[in-house]
Amino acid sequence: MQLMQIRAYWRQARLLLGVLACYLLGGCAPVILVDAEFPQPLVEPLPVRIGLLLNEELLAYEYIERIPQQASYTIRIGNANALMMNRLFQPMFAAVESVDDLPLAQPGSSRIDGVLIPELERYEFDVPIGMQDEFVEVWMQYLLRLYEPNGELITEWPISGYGKSELTKTSDRVNAISRATVLAMREVGAVIATKFAEQPEVEYWLQER
Amino acid sequence: MRPYYSKKRLSIIRAMAPRTYLLALISLGILCGCSVTSRLEPYKQTDAVLGEDDRVVILPRRHHASHEAERSFVDCVSNGLAQGNEGLGVHISTVFEDRLYPWFEPSTAPLSIDDFSELLKKPGVHEQVRLSKVRFIIWLDGSTDRVASGGAISCAASPFGAGCMGLAWWEDDARYDATIWDIRDLSSAGTIYADYNGRSVVPALIIPIPLIARPQAQACRGLTEQLKQFLTTPGGYEPGPELSAN
Repeated sequence: MQLMQIRAYWRQARLLLGVLACYLLGGCAPVILVDAEFPQPLVEPLPVRIGLLLNEELLAYEYIERIPQQASYTIRIGNANALMMNRLFQPMFAAVESVDDLPLAQPGSSRIDGVLIPELERYEFDVPIGMQDEFVEVWMQYLLRLYEPNGELITEWPISGYGKSELTKTSDRVNAISRATVLAMREVGAVIATKFAEQPEVEYWLQER
Repeated sequence: MRPYYSKKRLSIIRAMAPRTYLLALISLGILCGCSVTSRLEPYKQTDAVLGEDDRVVILPRRHHASHEAERSFVDCVSNGLAQGNEGLGVHISTVFEDRLYPWFEPSTAPLSIDDFSELLKKPGVHEQVRLSKVRFIIWLDGSTDRVASGGAISCAASPFGAGCMGLAWWEDDARYDATIWDIRDLSSAGTIYADYNGRSVVPALIIPIPLIARPQAQACRGLTEQLKQFLTTPGGYEPGPELSAN
């Protein structure tokens, strides 16, 4: 009888702790705004003028996932996408201009050699559930499309990035997800900056300029 | 008379038992648990030392995601080298990675001193390295992992009080390699291998008493001391590993 009473008290205590944890986690629905300063790549610019089209989908990208027994996470990556893409492409080419539409209004008279449209295809993350795992992991896959100014597709290239961040006394799940996302984005940026010109179709396109 | 003495002795034993068990449990925990054994193997193959204006940068090896050195460990060693009366010039690792982006990301970072020589030929890289004043790059590889655990503690609560009973233990192993590159001479200066194994125990009789071993913190301290010696003493190492238990 006494044991049953103890169990009942224990259940109530666990429930109370759960509610408290949910409250501390921001009503069980943390919203993570990924924001960071992305460095400019130290690379030699390619001798082409590029139009950069960052569409609304990329600029307002939001990923929502509910983790069982934890919380529902909302991860806003749109702002970080804009920051990264602008910092990444500027030093990579002789000139970079923002464009709003494709095909360009007057492709013949334009001084733009090609148009790049990045897209965030996939975002996945993993947060530790038990006490054993101490890391948050993030996987991201972007798709980079290169077009002629008249809208003809030259090539599309998937690029993956992985980021990992540890949970510490000063870095909770929310901070760790944000940091792991930034690391994954940096990895994607590094691959684009170092391997873009080596893509066979891009190589051929560059030779034609 | 005889039965009287037996009863008396029994009642004394009963009265003493919880206190004795508690003391025994604590003593056993202190004696058997919470110990750290360490092994350090430094190897230096050059006489190069850090100059007055030179800096050192500590970077985690991240090309294999499964056991990369924790950022907190990198920060611990960096801070340890920079602090104290004989603190060394330490370049912040994230600033160094930003300065040389994208060449020190997991997929692009040089894996050998020859790769680094090739990297210096890329436009702007040599200039950024020169401006950073970094003389030595220290690559940290390894991690702290839980290698064993066991036991159990049960806790219960009631309106009249709460308590725990049992014994839990676990063993953590902190293994790290520090590979030091002399980027002025473009040579590998040496390596330091550190292995710290720590066993923690939590005996519980009413109150859990955590006796926690911190092998990662000790590995940080041990490796920092060795690195300080490595970077400031020409030669300076006798052959053979350093073994200790505390």
